[in-house]
Amino acid sequence: MNRLAEHKAVKWFSSFCNGSALSLGVARSFVHGTFLIATLVTSFSALGQLPVTILRPNGLMDLLSWSFYDRLLTPSGMFIFKGVMLLSLLSSSAGLFTSITTKLSFVLVLFYQGLVRSFGHFNHDEMLAVYFLAVLAFVPCGDAFSLDHWAKRKQPNKPNIAYGYPVLLMQLLLAWVYFSSALVKLRVGGMKYLSPDNFPRLAIIHSLDNLHDTSFRYAFWLPQVREYLPIVVGLTLLWELLFPLAVFSRRARWWILGFGVVFHFATLFLMNIFFPYQLAMYLIFVDWDRLGAWINRRT
Amino acid sequence: MKSQSERRWVIKYSILTIALALPLLWSFRWVRNYYPATVWDMMLASDLETRRRYCVLRGETFSGKAIEIRPTELVNATYARTWTMVNFTIDNRSLSLPSPHPDNAVLLNQFGGVGRLPPGVRIPDLLNAWANLYNKRLPGDSPDRLKAIRLDQYEWPGGRYADYSNYLMSWRKDL
Repeated sequence: MNRLAEHKAVKWFSSFCNGSALSLGVARSFVHGTFLIATLVTSFSALGQLPVTILRPNGLMDLLSWSFYDRLLTPSGMFIFKGVMLLSLLSSSAGLFTSITTKLSFVLVLFYQGLVRSFGHFNHDEMLAVYFLAVLAFVPCGDAFSLDHWAKRKQPNKPNIAYGYPVLLMQLLLAWVYFSSALVKLRVGGMKYLSPDNFPRLAIIHSLDNLHDTSFRYAFWLPQVREYLPIVVGLTLLWELLFPLAVFSRRARWWILGFGVVFHFATLFLMNIFFPYQLAMYLIFVDWDRLGAWINRRT
Repeated sequence: MKSQSERRWVIKYSILTIALALPLLWSFRWVRNYYPATVWDMMLASDLETRRRYCVLRGETFSGKAIEIRPTELVNATYARTWTMVNFTIDNRSLSLPSPHPDNAVLLNQFGGVGRLPPGVRIPDLLNAWANLYNKRLPGDSPDRLKAIRLDQYEWPGGRYADYSNYLMSWRKDL
């Protein structure tokens, strides 16, 4: 009886582990590729000109010595660091020497993200993608959709779970981000979170300075509709709480992700806050095998 | 019946899942970010009555114009974090660390402790870095080069949706 129950449970769980070597390879490519593009367009030498004396190393970053930061945080130090990071990310995105380069890229990005967080607050946008890098560093993500595969160094010859579970794990991490965010809002603020002034105030305080990435001023229009905003905030909270459905229900998935796209663009225009990395990670929900088959049929 | 190879993957992935989940659950439990352990605690509830201070970066050019400068265009690596970098520098947070940078330790000795520091004691260094980056983009004889840069701090006292820009103070760096 126990064996039967166990068998059923494994079967039920396995039904969600339907990622293939191709899905995992594509995931490696877009997660590493996102950081590759961001690194390409970021001026590391400008960062190296900021005074090291304003740095507040957070968490594990505190383990490194000041003399290390003094040497690194110079235009030339950061330029070299950028070069190493670009080489590693280019290789890991393309799937070259995947087992090594995915680990190296993970360590370099982890360090860089810690460094920029030591200047300002603990921004959350890139963190989900950093966790994706952590997953990809320890799974066979170079067995397909990689230069290693085309050079016949790697083949998708492992059991299904080896490819399916990491994709499920990344989907669960994405769901955790929204679900836990809703729970924290309720734990910290309680029903105050639904007060009519909460959202307009938050939006306005992010629209006053010229230190944000954008300077949209739509937030100042919100007080005029403040009585309707608890409904909007409540629906958003409900969407966050229901986000795990995107993992388990194909039908709900596209509605939930669609709402997410609208939500993140709304925070950009109303709050000058944008989460481009997090939005890019929505691609983990795409069924790449099905898409690949569809493209093959069309060509 | 699971194959030997499948069983190995199950064990490996169990370890990976626990290694990722533990720091996330710890952060969630204590609502504390300890890099890289993360709790998604953004956009928490706020109160209309609470006052809010904010800053605007401006420059004065050799041609006599006063211009607004967007620091994220100068250092795009600090993307989305520039406003808190400025706020933390005004609060002298890097000087409140248990083991501050040696230069900050010297400054603390000079002033006699964190409590005696003026607000934003390192802001002039930050302004200098931004001004250099701004001027580097322009030819040496350009009238648009900065001769001074300043950070103006304002306050929205809260309570009502008005009076957003009450001037408080400025930090200025002549170049």
